[in-house]
Amino acid sequence: MTPPGIEVSGLAVRYGDVPAVQDVSFSVARGELVTLLGPSGCGKTTTLRAIAGLEQPSGGAIRLHGRSVFDAGAGRNVPTEQRGVSMVFQSYAIWPHMTVAENVGYGLRVRRLAREEITRSVDHALGLVQMRDYAARPASRLSGGQQQRVAVARAIAFSPDVLLFDEPLSNLDAKLRAEMRVELRELQQRLNITSLYVTHDQEEALAISDRVIVMQGGRIEQIGAPEEVYNRPGSRFVAEFVGSANLIHGRLLAPAGGTVSFEVAEGSVLELCPNRQPRGDETIVALRSAYIALAPAGAASGANTLRGRIHRRMFHGDFIQYVVACPAGTLIVRRPPTELFAEGADVTASFAPEHCVLL
Amino acid sequence: MLYPVAFLLEESFNVGDPQQFPAAEFGLDNYRAIADDLHVLGNTAEVAAIATVLAVLFGFSLAWILTRTSIPGRALLERLMELPYYMTPLVGALAWGILAGPKTGFINQVGHLLGLSGDLVNIYTPFGIGWVMALFEGTVAFVIIGAAMKSMDPSLEEGARVLGAGKLRTIFTVTLPMVAPGVLSAAVFVFAEMLGAFAAAFVLGIPGRFFVITTAIWEATLSYPPDYGRAAALGLSLFAVMLVTLGISRRITRRGSFATISGKAFRPRPIDMGRGGGWLLLVVCWTYIAVSVVLPLAALLLTSFQRFATVVLSQSQFTLDNYATALQMGTLGLAFRNSLLLGFCVATIGMLLTFTLVWIVYRSRTPGRGAFEYIGMFPQAVPRLVFGLGLLWAWINIPIPIYGTLWLLGIAYVTVFLPLGMRTLAGVMLQVDASLEECAKVCGAGWLRRMRTVTLPLLRPGLAAAWLLLFIASVRELGVSIFLMGPNSKVIAPAIVNSWLSSSSELSAAMALLQTATVFAAMLILFAAVRRVSGERA
Repeated sequence: MTPPGIEVSGLAVRYGDVPAVQDVSFSVARGELVTLLGPSGCGKTTTLRAIAGLEQPSGGAIRLHGRSVFDAGAGRNVPTEQRGVSMVFQSYAIWPHMTVAENVGYGLRVRRLAREEITRSVDHALGLVQMRDYAARPASRLSGGQQQRVAVARAIAFSPDVLLFDEPLSNLDAKLRAEMRVELRELQQRLNITSLYVTHDQEEALAISDRVIVMQGGRIEQIGAPEEVYNRPGSRFVAEFVGSANLIHGRLLAPAGGTVSFEVAEGSVLELCPNRQPRGDETIVALRSAYIALAPAGAASGANTLRGRIHRRMFHGDFIQYVVACPAGTLIVRRPPTELFAEGADVTASFAPEHCVLL
Repeated sequence: MLYPVAFLLEESFNVGDPQQFPAAEFGLDNYRAIADDLHVLGNTAEVAAIATVLAVLFGFSLAWILTRTSIPGRALLERLMELPYYMTPLVGALAWGILAGPKTGFINQVGHLLGLSGDLVNIYTPFGIGWVMALFEGTVAFVIIGAAMKSMDPSLEEGARVLGAGKLRTIFTVTLPMVAPGVLSAAVFVFAEMLGAFAAAFVLGIPGRFFVITTAIWEATLSYPPDYGRAAALGLSLFAVMLVTLGISRRITRRGSFATISGKAFRPRPIDMGRGGGWLLLVVCWTYIAVSVVLPLAALLLTSFQRFATVVLSQSQFTLDNYATALQMGTLGLAFRNSLLLGFCVATIGMLLTFTLVWIVYRSRTPGRGAFEYIGMFPQAVPRLVFGLGLLWAWINIPIPIYGTLWLLGIAYVTVFLPLGMRTLAGVMLQVDASLEECAKVCGAGWLRRMRTVTLPLLRPGLAAAWLLLFIASVRELGVSIFLMGPNSKVIAPAIVNSWLSSSSELSAAMALLQTATVFAAMLILFAAVRRVSGERA
């Protein structure tokens, strides 16, 4: 069996006495794109930089394509320049004193390739990011989006084993960011390059990744495919950080038959189908705003319906966000802009048992 | 650095034979003797206080005019405000001595011509000394206060206006409290600098036997028999006071940093002064330039071409002899050449050293790298003169025969100018994002290649600026050199002082102008280089 592209086990990084990353273990298969997602200060960038060798971990081990590049136990620490990784920086790190072609060819020149080969590879890499026409231009005269493309071209030009992205799109405006997202994903799949991607933008993480690793406070909260992380958040933090979720407080009733019942504060009972055996002490159910249906009061009844009144309606364009006051608490509900309810209207909110996630 | 200070400490407690090393007897007599020098301390405080008040006044008005009002030619004026700093207080003091000395000063000569019997002005007074110091330190106050004013987010003031406060109310309730820490910190900083200032007090105080601490130290050392103990005790006391004052200044800056939260440079919306007001403020600015730069230089220029300094042109005899003497007279020409040689070497070595230090502090992962910063910045707290004194003893007592050679001066200069170089380079280093270097690392480049292809090229403008600043500082250095120069290692600034004390003001003027010209030439290159590079980037 071939070893994975990136293998991190028990990684710990400390800044002085402050632990920045603790006990982080995961692996990235060859050709896979995995995202480290979390709020600022959660240790995602530190983890990425430790893999690149730009931070010195205090414990754990890192293997790239089966080769050990860091091992605290064995005292092994391969310097960055010998790790065969490549990286796209948040600031792009385009050298302003070189031309576009010189920037892209840097890694090839360092590897002492023949002149013709450098020219060919630079041309190929610039072609992949549609920047071929800019090769001779000084790098200081590029727009943000162009710098971004050059940074990507430079990172892939010397065919690295592993590609690291440190919030590469966070400095672009929203529209360009959405475009580059698609391009980066296509490029990564075309080159089939093992990639680790850091972002704080949950939408971006869900959109481009094969798997998402949610981090908080220097630790991993959950690892899973984007749909899994969204539909089945493993913790309250994940439920709140990824997507929009309602947290409903209550208590578990004694299990009866195949379903699990959850009693909400004012007495309504929700039915759930958890994907794991409940512990029994759970007090929160997470419910995605997008998975709640609204109907005029009295129209629907049955399991998993809550009566309420539209307290506030906010038109967001792609969806309408309702704040629904229910006896059990306030629900945030997102509906398509076609489903219009007036503020103050009485409604019934309903949702499927499989969308109620016990935390 | 620590070594000379330790020597000073030992010497200050030496009550035995002052010429004996290591000291045979120890005691506090030298410190007790300071009590006899109380008038010196009083003089120092008086001069420093006058200078501080004036300098902050100059600095504040100029900073307010140039950052907050809409007068024509602001950009040019801001540039010109730096000139007095490059003029150096020594040259300024000489020039003002010529301008406003009793009887023979140009201003008084004009007064006599107009039929006044007494002298209009006399620069050889505490106020005169303070005036000259303030003229040249005003620039420093201007820079500090100006930075505080510039970094103030205009929306803070706009917020007050929107809430209904008038122009004046806004100034008193928002603007002044925001700028106050900057002004206070400038005042304390200037005061500390003035305590350790030497040149003006020397040129204008010695003839009237008016001593401040620094000149008293100089006198104690050069009198016969030399009273090293007294000099050391005075020097260390000065060092202690300066350290405390600079510490206060730092604390104020740190605590009051609410004016600079975002670190962004704002250009606050200028206040429209109307036509008349604008012209008035413009006149204020140009008067400062005139009084601190144009007038002194003109006086020096006139004097340097004359056989006897006079403002009455019909009586004057013009000559080029002073320049010929300055360049040819064995020791003087030598001093000039030595200064240039030292400037080149010190600038080159200092630049490399500070680059290494700055890189270690900001880019490497060496343990304890923060300590390097403190070591590098430490010389700033030690008055130059006191440091020169310490080095003098330190090297006299070391069997390496470099006392009285240019080597010793070179070592002293590099040490003393380390903070200057480090501050300059650190500023540039911080502007160059660390990821630029990291990216080269990720691309597979080793340390040498990273330095050669990325770090050094990116820092080139900063390195050039550091080199020129070190060069300028070396050429005009006085405090350290006055103790360390030997008969074969004369340098220009002390040579000017000696010629002022012993011979003619005409010759001194010529030498001072030559020095100033060198400094200005270096400065012009500096500006041109900076402009070219920033133009490239833009």
